[in-house]
Parts: sequence; structure tokens; C-alpha cells
Amino acid sequence: MLNTTKTIEDGVIRFALEGRLDTVTSPDFEAEIKASLEDAKNLVLDFEKLDYISSAGLRVLLAAQKIIGGGGQMKLINVNETIMEIFEVTGFTDILTIE
Amino acid sequence: MTIKLTGRIDSGNAAEVESKIFKEIESMDSSEALVLDAADLEYISSAGLRTILHLRKTNPGLRIINVRPEVYEIFDMTGFTEMIPVEKAYRVVSVEGCEEIGRGANGTIYRIDKDNVVKVYNNADALEDIQHEREVAKLALILGIPTAISYDVVKVGESYGSVFELLNASSFSKIIASEPDKLDWCVKEYVDMLKLIHGTLVPKGKLPDMRETAIEWAEFMKDYLPEAEGKKLMELVEAVPQDDHMIHGDYHTKNLELQNDEVLLIDMDTLAVGHPIFELASMYNAFIGFSEIDHETIKKFQGFDFETSKKFWHKVLAAYLGTENEAIIREVEDKARIVGYARLIRRSIRRGGLEDAESLAEIEHWKAELIELLGRTDTLLFDVNAASEGGSSSHELVIEACPENLDEVMSFVAKTLDAVDCPPKAAMQIDIAVEEIFVNIANYAYAPEIGNATVMVDIEEDPLTVSITFIDHGTPYDPLAKEDPDVTLTAEEREIGGLGIFMTKQVMDDISYEYKDGRNILTLKKNLQG
Repeated sequence: MLNTTKTIEDGVIRFALEGRLDTVTSPDFEAEIKASLEDAKNLVLDFEKLDYISSAGLRVLLAAQKIIGGGGQMKLINVNETIMEIFEVTGFTDILTIE
Repeated sequence: MTIKLTGRIDSGNAAEVESKIFKEIESMDSSEALVLDAADLEYISSAGLRTILHLRKTNPGLRIINVRPEVYEIFDMTGFTEMIPVEKAYRVVSVEGCEEIGRGANGTIYRIDKDNVVKVYNNADALEDIQHEREVAKLALILGIPTAISYDVVKVGESYGSVFELLNASSFSKIIASEPDKLDWCVKEYVDMLKLIHGTLVPKGKLPDMRETAIEWAEFMKDYLPEAEGKKLMELVEAVPQDDHMIHGDYHTKNLELQNDEVLLIDMDTLAVGHPIFELASMYNAFIGFSEIDHETIKKFQGFDFETSKKFWHKVLAAYLGTENEAIIREVEDKARIVGYARLIRRSIRRGGLEDAESLAEIEHWKAELIELLGRTDTLLFDVNAASEGGSSSHELVIEACPENLDEVMSFVAKTLDAVDCPPKAAMQIDIAVEEIFVNIANYAYAPEIGNATVMVDIEEDPLTVSITFIDHGTPYDPLAKEDPDVTLTAEEREIGGLGIFMTKQVMDDISYEYKDGRNILTLKKNLQG
């Protein structure tokens, strides 16, 4: 289960994620994020209520990061310790902007 | 002393009502509580409320009962319900012609309309029982057991009943009786629920301890068994360790309901804590023990015949114990019978069974069986995973390898891990690994066909280690042979994907792969103590 809440403020798209970003939930979220990136290239992902991320979730983040490239910024906020560790071992702390 | 309030009490008649009541209670013993019966009270104004306050001054134990909803609202709005016990009038419900859908030790459950059922209590003075059942049902729900909680108390003839919402539900008894091809499905669901119950830890002091109850039975039995056997029974029961896991206490198939796609446990008043042997004992009684002499009994009780009941019980026990080994199943059944017979004999004797010939024959039969069992049993304890080696426990799931089944695999692993103290971080890491491996098998092992995957979870002690093995019969594939991705590259340089196995290696302590007898066997290990 994944719930996403999307808000737009000053051209920044913000997704608050709640639940699990896994094989089952990732495809929908990927479609959602890609559609949003057609409008704006500045993205904030709030991970406060995200409990779990698997490689399928990491795929979505990397794909989004590639689309944005140098034309904008994707920022992850409120990342919990366990998920942070996943980002560390996969080198994602170096390619994503995490606050 | 009870005084009836009638009609309207307002500023017009409050003074008069007050002096009348005071006159009536003049002779009342001061230790007696004053009860105002408001069944016929239509309205009460603030003048009337003051009268009640005056009465309460001289009678601090004052209670008001049978209050109509509209009058209750007045008491509630003015804060009287906080100061004085005010009991609502109970709705009256008739169960005449209603379908009986369940029957337990303390009451019978009827369907009163499409959406609602009422449990009518045998005990006429059941308000306390109702309160108790409501509380334990709430507790069970909070602890994760799917159940229904009553939302109203009603009067059914001279008895009380509690009303539950139960939509389109049918009991497992009904399904077993009417749809024989669903028997195996019923066994699985029934055992899953049983394991869920027995895997639930209950905070201390919240539920009665079944071991203590069983000690009472053994005590009672001392008078009816030869001395040596009486003593043996007590020793066996006392040797069962105290256990804080939940048991239902009356777990037969009328107490499990299928509502839409959800399985619900009902009739919660016997909820207790204790070793599973006590549960198996009452289950043995429900399916076999009660009907051992007169096989027709089960038909009246459950709606299916004795042969079906025997078959169901045997399948349940095998699935619960995780073994097909007849000797092990028989051994556990015998332990259950010991406690079960003690209970049956005591129950029958307390109901006057010694006075009537038919019951006496039953008692003699149970007693002979019990004595025989006591002669060759040295412990009531058993392993839930009787088939596995000592010092570790094993759980297995065979499932079609398709991405849609991921959730079921994940919850199977999570449920197994519930039994050990798995830190949340390790649990998430295990989830990551399980997801990667299962999704890999689902996507590639049999493509474009579909096949099965076997998932086995073993828990080893010292150090506490969980090991998860995936077996499939698909294309040989060693995920460990794959080169690790370079995680130092930039986002632009990195390829999307290919991270799954790498993550799995990172979060697990050990991964091994072998291809043997046409099967891919991948084992993940995670130390939970590190």
C-alpha cells in the first residue's frame, strides 16, 4: 500500500509518501511522477511516512533523477534511518539530494 | 426499593412527586439502595431533575433504570449521567423464527436481519457477561484478531442479548456442511486463524489463565478417578508452563465466520491465555469428544456428520502441527484427549450426569479412555512444528510464482518472524531481500509460463538467525554470478535497475545458491542478534 499526496507550491511539486514503495506500488508512482515532471522540474519527496523501499522504488527515484538532470532539482526530505542506510549502500546518497 | 416514575415531571408537579417519594421511602432501610424505574417517564424538566438531586442527597446509592432514549438525552445533556448511574431502557428483540448461526458455552447466536445478529445469553442475569465479552472482543481486536464487537444490548424475552453487525456472513460449519469441496480451504483458513490466535501475546492480567482452570478440573476429577490416575492428571496439568499467548477456548467451526472475503472469529467470551494444549482439548471435544458415543450429537451441534467432523479435525491437527506423520498427530491428539475428557466428565457430572443412565454410560466411556491415556502419557507438552528438528522451527509456503502473490509471501515471512523478537530494521531488510528474490523468480524463472515457488523460513537459536530458502523448478539461474553494479557512478552514468541482488547481498549476512535436481535453491541468512 502506498498513499501519495501531491501539492504544488511556487512551481515546486511536492509528494508526501505514506506506506511502502515496492514492486507492487512503484509502477503507479512512477507514472504519477513522470506525468508531473512534464509540468515542472522541481520536486520535493517527503519520506516521513514512508516505511519501506525496495529496488523497485530506487528505480523510480533514479529514473526521475535522470529525467530532471541539470534542469531542476529533486529533493528528498524526512528520510528515516533505515531507508537512509539503503541509500548509503546503493550509492544513492551521492546521486540524490537528501535533506 | 424500586419506585416507578410516570408521565411528566415538571415545575407543575415536581414538588408533589418529591413529597410522595419521600413518604414512600420513609420506611426504607438506610442500607438499601433506591432505584427509580423510568420506563413510563415521558419527560423531566429541571424542576424534576432537582427532585432527583434531593433524593440523591439522602440516598447516595440512587440509580435510575429503564430510561427511554428521549429522557436519557435530558439526563445526558444536563450531566446527570456523570453523577448518577442512569441505565437506558433496552430495545426488545425477538428471535422467533430467526436462523441460529452459532452456539457457544454461554449463549446462542441468531441472525435477526440481513446485517445483524444477536447473541442471546443463557444466563438471565447476563449484563456482566455481556460487558466482559465486549471488553475481551475489543482487546482481541486491538491485538490484531479479526472479530465483531457488539454495539447494542437488547432484551430478548427474559434474557439479555448483544447485537453485532455481521453482513452476509456464513459460518464455517455451514460451508463444510453444504460445500464439501471447500473442506481443504476451510482447514487452511481455520488453521491460519488458530495460529494467529496462538501467536498473539496478551498483556498480563487481561485474560483468565486456562492453566488455572484446568487445575480446577483436575482437582474435581480426583474424586472420580483412582488415586494414582487422579494424581497423575494433576501432575500433568501442573507441569504445563504458564503461557501468555491467547487461546479462544471454544474454537469450533460455528465460531468462525466468513464475511465477504474476510474470516472473523466470534463468540469471544471464553478468550483466555495458556498453552495450546488447552485449546486442542476443547477442539477435540467439539469435533469428537461430545459425539464419541452418540454420533448424531455432532449433526445437531455443527450441521455436518461425524465422519466429516473426524476428517476435518484430523486435517486441522496435521496442518496445525505442520506434519503428515501419523504417529506425531496421534500423540498430540492423545494429550488433547486427556484434558478434553477431564473437562467432559466434570461438565457432565455437574449437570447431573451421574443420575441418568445415558449420561452415565458416556461418563464411564470417557473415564475408561482417560485412565488408559494417563497410564501411558508423561507430558502434555508438544512441539507446534513437530516435524522439525529440535532447536529450530521451520515454516513452508508453496505458492504460484507471480508478482501478484508478493504480498502473500511477504506476510507469510512477516508472520513467521512474529514468533521471534525481530528488530524493525532487520525486518525491513529481510523484506527487501524477500521481495527481490521472489519477484525475480516470478518474472524470470518460468517465463512465459507460470510455476510454483517454495519459500521456507527457518529460525535457528544461538545466535538467533533467520534463514529463508527459495526453491523453484525454472530456468537455472545463479543471481550471485552477476557482477555488482558500480555504485560510485553519477546518476547520468548509472543504469536503471540491476540493484535488487546487490541490495540483497548488502542487507543479508549470507547468501548461497545451488542448482540441484532441476531446482534453483537460494538461501538467505540474517543474524538477528548482530
